[in-house]
Amino acid sequence: MSGFRDNFVNNFIDDQRWRYIWDGLGVTLQVTFFALILGVILGFLLAVIRATYDKTGKLKVLNFISQLYITIIRGTPVVVQLLIIFFVIFGSVNISKIIVAILAFGFNSSAYVAEIVRSGIMSIDKGQFEAGRSLGFNYVQTMIYIILPQAFKNILPALGNEFIVLLKETSVSGYIALQDLTRGGDIIRSRTYNAFMPLIAVALIYLTMVLIFTKLVNMLERRLRNSEH
Amino acid sequence: MSTNQNTLFRVENLRKEFGKGFFALDGITEEFHKGEVVVIIGPSGSGKSTFLRSLNLLEIPTEGKIYFEGVDITDSKVDINIHRQKMGMVFQHFNLFPHMTILKNLCIAPMKLQNKSKEEAEENAMKLLKRVGLEGRANDFPSQLSGGQKQRIAIVRSLAMNPDVMLFDEPTSALDPEMVGEVLELMKDLAKDGMTMVVVTHEMGFAKEVANRILFIDKGQVIEQNQPKEFFENPQNSRLKEFLSKIL
Repeated sequence: MSGFRDNFVNNFIDDQRWRYIWDGLGVTLQVTFFALILGVILGFLLAVIRATYDKTGKLKVLNFISQLYITIIRGTPVVVQLLIIFFVIFGSVNISKIIVAILAFGFNSSAYVAEIVRSGIMSIDKGQFEAGRSLGFNYVQTMIYIILPQAFKNILPALGNEFIVLLKETSVSGYIALQDLTRGGDIIRSRTYNAFMPLIAVALIYLTMVLIFTKLVNMLERRLRNSEH
Repeated sequence: MSTNQNTLFRVENLRKEFGKGFFALDGITEEFHKGEVVVIIGPSGSGKSTFLRSLNLLEIPTEGKIYFEGVDITDSKVDINIHRQKMGMVFQHFNLFPHMTILKNLCIAPMKLQNKSKEEAEENAMKLLKRVGLEGRANDFPSQLSGGQKQRIAIVRSLAMNPDVMLFDEPTSALDPEMVGEVLELMKDLAKDGMTMVVVTHEMGFAKEVANRILFIDKGQVIEQNQPKEFFENPQNSRLKEFLSKIL
């Protein structure tokens, strides 16, 4: 038991090594939060473009661009995208690694969010759309007031899932030497030559965040369901 | 053809092509007047619903013109959304907004499109709900209502915009038989108040009792039209005779 205690002190207390974990957690949360916002906004936009094309045949060019974007993003690994954004796109610019990570994970997530939202829009009965239009709402108003709120409720589980994936995917931020949670744990490992403790601690923190997040999504889902019976 | 003051809709040579060479509407020219109740009947696939749905451009006609209150709404420069506010539409499957309470269903369009205040819109909505005897359901959601109740709500949702005409697309076809009556009663009530109505329906009793005029549409054309009595007692066209013999 004293071995465990010494180990713990060595890995987390000595030299304030817990700070690698703590600061890394802050970075992970920042990147996840802003990437999520970017992914959702961009994803909804892409989805509306794609769904508009599917429904009406309009926005042909924008739809083509969106489809190309989604295909490329979904067809390549997120690590490669992260490296390209860091070393190629911003290669000669001095830019914060956090912002690079936010952009990379946000763009990546947007492609998946787009397809989730599009499927949600397409799942809403055509009659809802017609009812909105027949009252005099234009296309965008019908989307905002009538279609998207219903679609959002239907896709909430899938969106929640995507956000969990996003949170965990940010663990590859270390590839551009960004000190996120995973990298923080790994730095401790390299200092103490003890892999078990820091890495298990990191894993437990991810697990806890995912559990909390799942709980929040479930609560939101239940609330939306209650408001409809 | 001159449009007189009383003409609400004038339709000229309306054609709608679905796929190559199939015309769901094949040259319809027709007028509807203020205060008129016109019932449209015809076999399934005859184009009667397509015709009704093209009146507010839910179906975009391939050829022909539609004048609503003197304005050619088939002109692409016309903002159809403004004109749709004056045309209520009632659907076979109600199409209430399931994520909103009944009250919100009635208030959203007047608030967002006519800039009514919340109080004003709700006051008007409650009046309409009282009219259909559903004021107690204001805070319920559509899924808590029966089919007949839903359709009555759908009708007053359209009325909340204070339209000049109401279009009904088989409003009782999706209802259980015992609920048809309550919806037809409300429609009769509207007709009595002078609302202009264009109704696609299979309810011949309603057509006989309420319609000023009945149109028989088949293969995308108006084959015959008349006042109800003549229409049912003295049909001329053989296809209409055959149709009536099947349903009466």
